[in-house]
Amino acid sequence: MSAVLQNLVNQPYKHGFVTEIESDVAPKGLNEDIIRLISSKKNEPEWLLTFRLQAYEKWLSMKEPQWQNVKFPKIDYQSISYYSAPKPKKKLASMDEVDPELLRTFEKLGVPMHERAALAGVAVDVIFDSVSVATTYKEKLAEVGIIFCSISEAVRNHPELVKKYLGTVVPVGDNFYAALNSAVFTDGSFCYIPKGVKCPMDLSTYFRINTEGSGQFERTLIIAEEGASVSYLEGCTAPQFDTNQLHAAVVELIALDNAEIKYSTVQNWYAGDENGIGGIYNFVTKRGLAKGVNSRISWTQVETGSAITWKYPSCILRGENSVGEFYSVAVTNNLQQADTGTKMIHIGRNTRSTIISKSISAGRSNSSYRGLVRVTPTAENARNYSQCDSMLIGDQCGANTFPYIQVHNNSAKVEHEASTSKIGEDQLFYFMQRGIGTEEAVSMIINGFCKEVFQQLPMEFAVEATKLLSFKLEGSVG
Amino acid sequence: MSTMTSNGYLENLVQSWQRPPAASSNWLDQLRANAMESVGTLRMPTTGDEEWRFTDISPLNRLPYPAAYPTAELSLSAGEPYYLAETAHRLVFVDGQFAPELSSIGDTTGIVVGSLSSLMATHGEKIAHKLGNLAEYRNDIFTALNTAFLRDSACIIVPQHVSETAPIHLLFIANQKAVTSYPRCLVIAESGSKVRILEDYIGTEKDAYVTNTVVEMSLGSNAHVEHIRVQRDNQQAFHIGNCTVSLAPASQYHSISITLGAFISRYNLNILLNGEGAECTADGLALISDQQLADTHTFIDHVKPHGKSRQLHKCIVDGMAHGVFNGKIMVRPHAQQTDSSQLSRNLLLTNKARVDTKPQLEIFANDVKCAHGATVGQLDKEEIFYLQSRGLSDLAARNLLTYAFGGEVIDRISIPSLKKQLEGIVLARTQIS
Repeated sequence: MSAVLQNLVNQPYKHGFVTEIESDVAPKGLNEDIIRLISSKKNEPEWLLTFRLQAYEKWLSMKEPQWQNVKFPKIDYQSISYYSAPKPKKKLASMDEVDPELLRTFEKLGVPMHERAALAGVAVDVIFDSVSVATTYKEKLAEVGIIFCSISEAVRNHPELVKKYLGTVVPVGDNFYAALNSAVFTDGSFCYIPKGVKCPMDLSTYFRINTEGSGQFERTLIIAEEGASVSYLEGCTAPQFDTNQLHAAVVELIALDNAEIKYSTVQNWYAGDENGIGGIYNFVTKRGLAKGVNSRISWTQVETGSAITWKYPSCILRGENSVGEFYSVAVTNNLQQADTGTKMIHIGRNTRSTIISKSISAGRSNSSYRGLVRVTPTAENARNYSQCDSMLIGDQCGANTFPYIQVHNNSAKVEHEASTSKIGEDQLFYFMQRGIGTEEAVSMIINGFCKEVFQQLPMEFAVEATKLLSFKLEGSVG
Repeated sequence: MSTMTSNGYLENLVQSWQRPPAASSNWLDQLRANAMESVGTLRMPTTGDEEWRFTDISPLNRLPYPAAYPTAELSLSAGEPYYLAETAHRLVFVDGQFAPELSSIGDTTGIVVGSLSSLMATHGEKIAHKLGNLAEYRNDIFTALNTAFLRDSACIIVPQHVSETAPIHLLFIANQKAVTSYPRCLVIAESGSKVRILEDYIGTEKDAYVTNTVVEMSLGSNAHVEHIRVQRDNQQAFHIGNCTVSLAPASQYHSISITLGAFISRYNLNILLNGEGAECTADGLALISDQQLADTHTFIDHVKPHGKSRQLHKCIVDGMAHGVFNGKIMVRPHAQQTDSSQLSRNLLLTNKARVDTKPQLEIFANDVKCAHGATVGQLDKEEIFYLQSRGLSDLAARNLLTYAFGGEVIDRISIPSLKKQLEGIVLARTQIS
């Protein structure tokens, strides 16, 4: 049976190909000049350059964090090229004008944009390396007043909004990687939902890392005004490279009174080969601020790729009655390492949070759940429920749980549960008895294990995630 | 270097340490010297260290408390209220020094009970083999200090297949203020033996003192040890306790630790399941109020397959007190069929009370059953209402529920008179009027 498991684990990376497009690449290394170069290339206003330089200064004074439960060779930040953009041709009016090469790439990934946009009603803000190439459905969204564009466009067209919110949830000096991102971010998505508007469709961004040796520093900013609601999808794939690529994104969410933001991620970046060579380093800072009363922020993530995943999508529950949610499935295989979890900071009264984390480790991988639930003295009647379950496949992998619970208010009710298990012989036997083969049984058990999280995903993603998981773990259970 | 900032407490201790004669080949002198060498390489922990993140012991740094020498007079009756009827042997240590006039050693046929100095001649070799070997002093400053200042120790050796049914009472009395005492205890339970140990800390002083204790227990195969620890130092005291237990195949270790006293207390319990099929339970109750801080760090290390561990830790936090629990369970590669469960439950009685808990699992084997849970909260309104509907006042209902919360751990103590004593204390502490 373990042979079946082995096969399952050893599926080669499907999306490994490099698109040949001429890139405008900045020289390697990081210094003030590079930051000025990025800023001038993007025709940025003075305040944004100041923001970047401030972040750079902070970054210089910071040390790389050491506490996380992952191991990797030291990153040489001076050997990374911090800017790479497809050569600007001319502004595109419709999808037909998009570089056919680029479109083919998306097709290979199974993201036929126009079709997808039309059929599924999804507006896809395509990010190819660092510059946004085309944005669909913008007009339809504009009708209801929603701004959905790349962040550089937002800087040009809506500087007052960007200036007001950028860096308010994740300050420039928040952590080492966030500071780096604040200094050199090249592009990302911006989304603004005006007062009382329910976004008519799911918004989606497809990330793609291209150009060998260029780290990608995305910046996403989503603002939901009073009574607004939005569901945002983020999906990632990357081509196969041998040099490790650093990805240090920052995502900021702001929900005002009665607003609701749902952020879903399916991450399937290149994880390195079975010997752990290559693969993406995914060091991401994601944080949502539930600022208004009755606001709600919900994170859902399916993490299957990356050599190293290091991210803690967090919720700061400041508004009264605000709600934070975190649903996560993390799958690690071969030599992948994941140290992921969430932080729920309860500040407002009657705030509630739910954490459901499922991790599956196979091969020689290592996955950790690291979470923090903090109830500050002001958070009367705060409520938290956490559940983290781990499943181990094979005897060379590891699963760790580090839940920090800090309660400074006696009216709080905090519960945490965790368990670790494997796929039981009895369970497999039961399936076989019913005429279901091992492989299928394993797939069903794993999907059952992750069901609570998949239920939270939007329809298209749920289907994709289910497939992704069974193909990731094909042949790895015995 | 800036990290070597002046630390009155540590400096004072290091200066007062007397180097044993250089020519001495005595293993004990050697051990002390080695430990002192380790002290030189270590520093006092700060809240910057992950292991001490929630426990700020900086107040200790300002207290130049030298190592205690037994000088103060202690009346013979001082420990009497704590003596228990059921015990077969009672070893009393005053400020870390054996006090034979207060102790009572019963029938010692088949069992070895006494102080280090009295057993050195007869059992020196056995003791030398274990003492200082289990408690790792190379990377823990408090264990290193205790070992460096090791003067006396309670030693209990239970030979093969001997079963001592009556508990052995180890009473450690702190009788001087402004000193540091170093109680020490070594238990060797050889294969197939059975013993019950009660480790008990009390203070006669009202002012601050430091107790830095190290306990080592070695369990042979099939040995069975029950270990009850009661810490009731005064509310100004600093109490740092380290206990390391090593389990051979199929041995069983059951521990209950009750923390009631001290201004700042820290208890590190390390249980190493080094043998196949070893089992342990590690229960705890911390009942604290005012400005007290009680920190319990446990580490259960499943090294070999078929191990089993159970843990229930409870904190009742009143006033402005601060409860800390960190329970780490490690399942090493190949420790298959491990069955482990852990529960941390915390009750906050006031809105100034604070709890930091971290149940932690690190698992490197796949065929295991591990679960942990943690809860923090106040008394359930429904439960209070239920009791009120039965005619109890709101206050009586609260007191009863609080008492019952702690009672779950006290109930597991197998010495009736101690259980009664503790029930009395918990009852008194939970009767808020």
